[in-house]
Amino acid sequence: MNIEFTSEHTAFREAVREWLAAHVPSKRLPSFDTQEGFDLHREWERTLAKDKWGNVNWPEEYGGRGLDLTHWLIFEEEYYRADAPLRVSQNGIFLLAPTIMEYGTDAQKARFLPPMASGAEIWAQAWSEPGAGSDMAAIRTKAVRDGEHYVVTGQKTWSSRAVFADWCFALVRTEEGSERHKGLSKLLIPLDSPGLTRRPIAQLDGDPGFAELFFDEVRVPAENLLGPEHGGWGVAMATAGFERGLLLRSPARFQAAAARLVNLWREHKDRLSSGVSEQVLQAWMNTERFCAATYQLVSRVQAGASVSSEASANKLFWSEMDRHLHRTAMTIMGAKAELEEGLDAIDNGRWLDGYMFSLAGPIYAGTNEIQRNILAERVLGLPRK
Amino acid sequence: MDFRFTENQQDLIDAAKAFFIGENTAERMRKIAAGETVDNLWPQFAELGLLGLMAPESAGGLEQPLVVMAGVAEAAGYAGLPEPCLEIAGVSVPHANEEELSGQITRAMRSELRPHIDSSLADSGEVVMSIDPLRKLVKADSGNDQNIDSINHHGAVLSAAQLVGLSQRMVDMSVEYAKDRHQFGKPIGSFQAIKHHLATVYTQIEFTRPMVHLAAIKGGRAVHTAKVAAIDTAMMAAETAIQVHGGMGYTFEVDLHLFMKRAWSLCGEWGDRNYHMKKLEELVLEGDEPLGPGTTFS
Repeated sequence: MNIEFTSEHTAFREAVREWLAAHVPSKRLPSFDTQEGFDLHREWERTLAKDKWGNVNWPEEYGGRGLDLTHWLIFEEEYYRADAPLRVSQNGIFLLAPTIMEYGTDAQKARFLPPMASGAEIWAQAWSEPGAGSDMAAIRTKAVRDGEHYVVTGQKTWSSRAVFADWCFALVRTEEGSERHKGLSKLLIPLDSPGLTRRPIAQLDGDPGFAELFFDEVRVPAENLLGPEHGGWGVAMATAGFERGLLLRSPARFQAAAARLVNLWREHKDRLSSGVSEQVLQAWMNTERFCAATYQLVSRVQAGASVSSEASANKLFWSEMDRHLHRTAMTIMGAKAELEEGLDAIDNGRWLDGYMFSLAGPIYAGTNEIQRNILAERVLGLPRK
Repeated sequence: MDFRFTENQQDLIDAAKAFFIGENTAERMRKIAAGETVDNLWPQFAELGLLGLMAPESAGGLEQPLVVMAGVAEAAGYAGLPEPCLEIAGVSVPHANEEELSGQITRAMRSELRPHIDSSLADSGEVVMSIDPLRKLVKADSGNDQNIDSINHHGAVLSAAQLVGLSQRMVDMSVEYAKDRHQFGKPIGSFQAIKHHLATVYTQIEFTRPMVHLAAIKGGRAVHTAKVAAIDTAMMAAETAIQVHGGMGYTFEVDLHLFMKRAWSLCGEWGDRNYHMKKLEELVLEGDEPLGPGTTFS
């Protein structure tokens, strides 16, 4: 075991820190779930991409720096240390991009990765349906092959970023009469396609963070099929692995929040009951544990291991840790916890926003109940029935 | 940065685990609990290199770092090993001078089941029984050893590592029981209530083990975090395991209680939860240590 950073790692960290100090907007951007905030976050993606800081672990030919995941972790640490804007492109760069790199054709890689890296094309996920939430294999949206196109009809929901995004990656039923996990395919679909209607859904904070998508005979070029036709479940599970496993939530995000929580506690400690410090420490310890486990996972992945069902443990841990951390902040703020803005609001309602968002964590990317089933059945070996 | 055991280190740990599990069977544990005489494992500890694992090569040791001993300690916890092999090899030996060193190892080799030593008790030479029937405590002087910080570091890490192993063992026993035990016409392990309990404990274990490894290498606040995490995980594992075992778990009919009681004991050894939480209060809440991203490993 060796936990030393090399001098090259340290130099990289300093370069990231220096660049961020010079470029991170001095004022926090408005939420990317508003048109104004979305545009400003897209602009930030362009700024990141221009100096090749958007995706340091991607191959150079697609706009990355060809660095390993340890560098990515260091980048993330500096990124959240600098309190840089959240990544509006996260569905694309963290979930779709690894899938394209694994399953995409060369033409697809060349077509989709560079504009994703530059922020020119921002992606939304279109998997869930009104009748297919936790039971994702119940997907009914169908795609019928018609010459060089698929004709897509059906309905998707909970499509994050879809209100303002440019493209979505959808899981649809391509094989007529197929059931459950069979006969599904992954299609890449422009959100401005004729026949596609978006209905914004107001999420807990009131902003349209996601949308319902209605497909009425939407024609999608057949070349936008990602991975094998009718083999979409496997492709989707690979994406889910990235989502739950490693990329979507690096430790840095939570460690930054834990450090802010300690400061919040320090500012308010004189009026807090004695149990609160225990909760603050618990939150901080959880982020340390998440960090240690992530570095160990990255070491394993870099040595050739793949992340499969155990990724579910990751998702459980960070989502429940995040909710507990933000709940603790709500406790500390007491009577001011409900304030979103104004002079009395603490940190402009940031903790309240964070708490609301943390409540989604145990639901999105596969509910925590589903994750516990996966762990119990596929890792611990308990019987399905 | 490669936060994994090397192949050689992993081989050592795997060999230790196979040895512990192979020798310290449930039958052996029951015999010890009943006061019967069992095989002396000390010569084999020495033969496998475990006693000299951390000793300098000049003294015939393998000169391995504490984190490897933590891997061995996890295995010992998993096997419920009653001998204080880790206390000797992981705490005493690394802090012994050269003359003491050979003495320690040979003395350990010659002894039968040496009692565990609980440093929190005052010296009176009196043997005290624990609820853990495989554990005899000797009242000993906690001492003013000049290496006390390092000794505490080693002790806390190795007790945390054993707790990780014990937690894993209790989960594994519960999984086996839940696959076997039928109610309502099916194995109780097919019910989500059981699955979710065990998945929760599994997750806690997965996020404690790397923390113990970090604590072994880095010391400081990581040690306190690791011990608290290991205590919380082990207590949760024990409570979950007894619940999954139902009434059987509340008896001597199944062996769960042996592992559960060991876990309770280790929770209070080498700094209980209060001790480590108070240290964290000083360091993290009231101290000026850097916090936030990038401060865990650097």
